[in-house]
Amino acid sequence: MVRRSVLLIQTTELKILLRRLFIAVLFFCSIFFILLSTVDSPLTSGINKAALRITGPIMQVVEYPARILHRAYTYLYDISRIYLDNRELRAENKQMLILQNKVRSLEVENQLLSRLLNYTPPPEANFISAKIIAESSDNFTHILFVYIGDEDVKKGQIVLGEESVIGRVDTVSGQYAKVILVTDINSKIPVVVERTRARGILSGDNTEMPSLIFTRSTADIQEGDVIVTSGVGGMFPAGLPIGFVSLLQNNDIKVETLADISRIEYVRIVDYGLSTEQVKIFDGSSESGTDER
Amino acid sequence: MKDSWHEKWRLFWLHGIPLWTTLLLMFLCLIPSDLVGISRFCPTVGLICVYYWSLKRSHIFGYISAFTVGFFMDVLSSSPLGVNILLVMLMVFAIQWPARYFQSASFSVIWFIFAVIGLGVFVLKWLLLSIYYNLLISPNEIMFNYLATVMFYPLIVAINIGMQRFLPQERINE
Repeated sequence: MVRRSVLLIQTTELKILLRRLFIAVLFFCSIFFILLSTVDSPLTSGINKAALRITGPIMQVVEYPARILHRAYTYLYDISRIYLDNRELRAENKQMLILQNKVRSLEVENQLLSRLLNYTPPPEANFISAKIIAESSDNFTHILFVYIGDEDVKKGQIVLGEESVIGRVDTVSGQYAKVILVTDINSKIPVVVERTRARGILSGDNTEMPSLIFTRSTADIQEGDVIVTSGVGGMFPAGLPIGFVSLLQNNDIKVETLADISRIEYVRIVDYGLSTEQVKIFDGSSESGTDER
Repeated sequence: MKDSWHEKWRLFWLHGIPLWTTLLLMFLCLIPSDLVGISRFCPTVGLICVYYWSLKRSHIFGYISAFTVGFFMDVLSSSPLGVNILLVMLMVFAIQWPARYFQSASFSVIWFIFAVIGLGVFVLKWLLLSIYYNLLISPNEIMFNYLATVMFYPLIVAINIGMQRFLPQERINE
């Protein structure tokens, strides 16, 4: 009887010890993961891809009822505004017709001048439209999850909102992709000021307005200047609009994005045919730019 | 034998209610803001749920559940893998001692303790990420996120209390 109770106590003590050891292992794992993330290892990339494969369908299911409710609300709201909208659209249409004529004449003029200069136009970009299924609302991160279906999307491809750059593809797994927004701390894009061609890097800092860094102190930058991609590094083609300078304070230049990300339902993922090598250089990652599907 | 397995399976799902609820709430917070009409005003629900369940039902919401929640917090964001896992587990560790004293305390006291522990967690996260990125992250955004998390605490807890009644009766110790 005594031996049995001693054995029982020993077993209990062993259980407690094992439990503590297990907790220590869990703590160790978390620290190990952080250290592993600093070197951008294939293991963390693989874990992220596997997690995206699992969470993608769940996010889509969760988003679906919200989407239906939103559509119903928008439908009823639109009906209530149909008369006013119609009047506005008619006025807008008149102006658009005038603009269309101007555009046609400019197009013809452009073709003539291109022929004169023997200009070779750049290859046309392919794009796909993808639906946003989730959005990280944590202030520490600015990312989107999009449904890409069976389309061929690669890591590093550009993501456009309405007409401006909003981010780049970070992870592709199955039918889902994770998009890092320009406002995220992980986003660094080479840009130029459209007016003065002053170069810099648009760096996300997890605020609503990314900062323009590495610009010359003598650079002529004013509030309202449009910021476009510079094409340096080969990741983004040159001339894509991103935002405009909205705040100039000492050496701090804040840029407001042109696209209102909170109102975008669909995004365009553009393939400019950039080589995976260029993507690798820009990303600084050791893994292949083409993600496994 | 069949009944025994069935019972075990049933208990597994029932004991997992805190974890399933937490994960579901985390996914609901990911609904695009164009649908809910608010922009980036979402609390860190994972933190609230981990605090609540590890305080109230520590026997079914321990370190493994906290690890799982932290893991999903990491993969559903662009944070480096492991940061949220570490923070959430530290939170559970920090709660262990006061849990036995404050389990039966009033709601406002528990809320206040969450505000204090939450502040510690957010500051630690800010420090960790600043070190990781080698950049001083703006504290304003983090404070905003912290305040939203503290403000939304009663609402998230109310949902969790609602889920509590689905837990097996014999294990409820309140």
